[in-house]
Amino acid sequence: MSSKAKVRKEILMGNQALGRGLVENGVAVMTAYPGTPSSEILPSVVHYGAEMKHPPYCEWSVNEKVAVEVALSSAYTGQRSAVAMKMVGLNVALDPVMSAAYIGVIGGMILISADDPGPHSSQTEQDSRLLAHFAKLPVFDPDSPAMARDLVGPAFALSERFQIPVMIRPTLRVCHGRQNLNLREPKELERAPVFQRDPFRWAAIPKMRLALHHALNAKLAKIQDYVSKSKSLNKWHAPLRPRAPLGILASGVSAALARDVLAELGLPVGEGKVPFLQTAAPYPLPVGPVSELIAGCRNVLVLEETEPVLELLAPRRDQLWGRASGHVPSAGELTPEVLGEVLERALGEAKLKAPRPRGKMLTVPDQPPMRRPNLCPGCSHRAVFYSLRRALPTGVYPSDIGCYTLGMNQGAVDTCHDMGAAVTFASALSRSLNQAGDETPVVATIGDSTFFHSGITGLVNAVYNGSRFVLVILDNETTSMTGMQPTPESGLTADGHPGQAVDIKKLVEGCGVRWLTELDPYQMGDLQKTLKKAWRWCKSPEGSVAVIIARHACAAQRPKDAVATPCKVEVKGQAAPVKTSFKPKDNPCADCGGCVAVCPVGALTRTGKGKIKVDGAKCTGCRLCAAVCPTGTMVLEPVGACVACGLCSTWFACPALAKDAKGYISIDRGWCVDCGLCAEVCAHGAIAPLEESK
Amino acid sequence: MSRLKWQAVVAGVGGQGVLFVSRALASSVEPKAGSILISEVHGMAQRGGAVVSHLKAGPFSGPLVSFGQADLLLALDPGEAVRNLTYLAPKGHLVVNAPDLEFLSPKARKALASFGAQVLTVPATELAGRAGTPKGANVVLLGAAAAVGALPVKLKELERAICEGQPQARAQANQKLLNLGAEAAAQV
Repeated sequence: MSSKAKVRKEILMGNQALGRGLVENGVAVMTAYPGTPSSEILPSVVHYGAEMKHPPYCEWSVNEKVAVEVALSSAYTGQRSAVAMKMVGLNVALDPVMSAAYIGVIGGMILISADDPGPHSSQTEQDSRLLAHFAKLPVFDPDSPAMARDLVGPAFALSERFQIPVMIRPTLRVCHGRQNLNLREPKELERAPVFQRDPFRWAAIPKMRLALHHALNAKLAKIQDYVSKSKSLNKWHAPLRPRAPLGILASGVSAALARDVLAELGLPVGEGKVPFLQTAAPYPLPVGPVSELIAGCRNVLVLEETEPVLELLAPRRDQLWGRASGHVPSAGELTPEVLGEVLERALGEAKLKAPRPRGKMLTVPDQPPMRRPNLCPGCSHRAVFYSLRRALPTGVYPSDIGCYTLGMNQGAVDTCHDMGAAVTFASALSRSLNQAGDETPVVATIGDSTFFHSGITGLVNAVYNGSRFVLVILDNETTSMTGMQPTPESGLTADGHPGQAVDIKKLVEGCGVRWLTELDPYQMGDLQKTLKKAWRWCKSPEGSVAVIIARHACAAQRPKDAVATPCKVEVKGQAAPVKTSFKPKDNPCADCGGCVAVCPVGALTRTGKGKIKVDGAKCTGCRLCAAVCPTGTMVLEPVGACVACGLCSTWFACPALAKDAKGYISIDRGWCVDCGLCAEVCAHGAIAPLEESK
Repeated sequence: MSRLKWQAVVAGVGGQGVLFVSRALASSVEPKAGSILISEVHGMAQRGGAVVSHLKAGPFSGPLVSFGQADLLLALDPGEAVRNLTYLAPKGHLVVNAPDLEFLSPKARKALASFGAQVLTVPATELAGRAGTPKGANVVLLGAAAAVGALPVKLKELERAICEGQPQARAQANQKLLNLGAEAAAQV
């Protein structure tokens, strides 16, 4: 692609458009931690930055707090910087963000926090604009990829004029929307970085902070005036008209979709029936145009995602129709359907008739069941979760944020809260559950990138405070869920500048962990033995936190390494369902409790010493009890064919294990990657390697 | 010159090439529409979950299609067709990767028939598989859609958008898949 071409029109994803905008406006430092829907912003800066004589410095930071600090202090030197994250990452970064407005910047700094109304890939529907307000930072709210790109220049300009970082808050539909736009040339600012020593500012003590706070408030008043007067940030899609019964105040994607929906209702904004003001700068509120709209209309419908910001900041709230009045739902994405209902109701209450009621649509009664996302076939995490349930079936399994949250499909994820919480939750749960001398194994799972991000502090805390639990670090050497960004372990950097690999094992040792082992989770037998051993050590007198680093290549990133020795498996026919039976006559029960613990459906109960009752109605005939019984008291001979017990589809839950209406399993060749792991799962030996593959 | 105004929903399952289809449609209609807006899903939703992409070509502002407004619903998976039927406009086209409409319940088939949409079923996975490229079902379906006039562009324009800038082998394979789809559509 030649950089000499004058006008290049391309269809860009919103995140690419933001990256392009940053390069077109001379960004010199770019940092980020990956998180949907923000992950493609930084790679786009790397990509387009290559067109520059001096490409920007880009880094995947270890977490969002670090990313903000690196970008912020870079802007102290007069260079332009940017940082990108998803909105829950902003929570992690809030500490430096809160001070950033007080202390400010010299070079422009943009903080991109991508929200996820819906939520589609996140824990919360939080609105970053509220945090911008909380941190006293101006925020821009684009409605499309093109607007996102076009706001980068004004954001840098505002940031430098008032020496304050500016937030751009795109939502998922902007980030992962695509739009065709004209690319502009990258801009080279050629600013030499200078650090002006000024400890009263950069290292301000609390007394100085008060002065800075006063200065910030004065600054915000000026910014409010600036955004109020801006024609480009406040767009009247339909101007005020005399005695308008209803006006619309909107920002972000809701402003764009509402215009389309109004057109579908026969009230295109171009005809000017309903005054419509869109602001791209919700905070500080552009009080001039907003007051004008509210003063000129009997009622004003406020459309924004996902929390009321304009609505809370606007004057004369009794005239507003929004979340407080119940006109706009307080949770969920404002899709065209939701907006259609909201607009129809508002138009109706304003005694304005929509010329075209919402169109005819097809409603189909028999909807297919929802598709649950699942780990990829061949993913080693699946082997860990299966082994966990086999080895320590009565355990509690705190987990974390990443692909492996999908271990929930296998019943091996009990908690998922925020980045790093697997480790801290495991510490606390193990202490609570085992203080009465109970033996509830607690096994936490966390991915490698999440461990680097926020797991380490929890581990140091656990070691220091003497917690007893097993931590399995699922190390697939990449950040899979968000698109294979490198982790510190790889030593690869975002833009190819020299980095150094950080060894997880040494890191764990350095945290003071005394029981540590590394293994390949594809060796499921070893893994199960190791898990048991690790837990035994945890509860022993000298025990503490035991760490297992389960390392295997990511099946999506490096499929050939993940399945290094392919093994084609087949289901060896079908047989009638079977049940297990308890036969203590010849082989007395050892009363070990293994069968009761391992039963996936709770069909076995201990009714007395050496006595087990089998609930035939519950028993699926999976044969795990017979497989673990040390004395041969639980009896069920392997059938050598599928008995439709459902064990593999629940505990292993591979998308390649297709289940028919009667519960019999077959291998779906469209999904199967020949990892061969499921052959170890079936206790009846019904899934076996094909002869010819040997 | 009046600009094209056209909306499509492309639905399927992760790995079927939904995003490829919506991007191919976008670049083929871009010259006629001027403005292009697409919405995609990434992340958690892609791990074997349903994938849907909305495309709005022409004078639109927002990236999502409203219920009852899609001129085309192109479904790479029959189940996902059912889930997204509600986007279809009364005179819209449904193009689905299935040998027939058996995947619909009798009730749903009746509802679809009385709705007035134009329906095309193509066993695209089977056709692509016979051609030795089972992953190419998405391109077969595109070829079929173009051939029956379910797209605002001709097969040739679509072919240009898909094959331009591709390595020759890839371009030829796609050309073949497009034609397979077009032939299948002609036989219906």
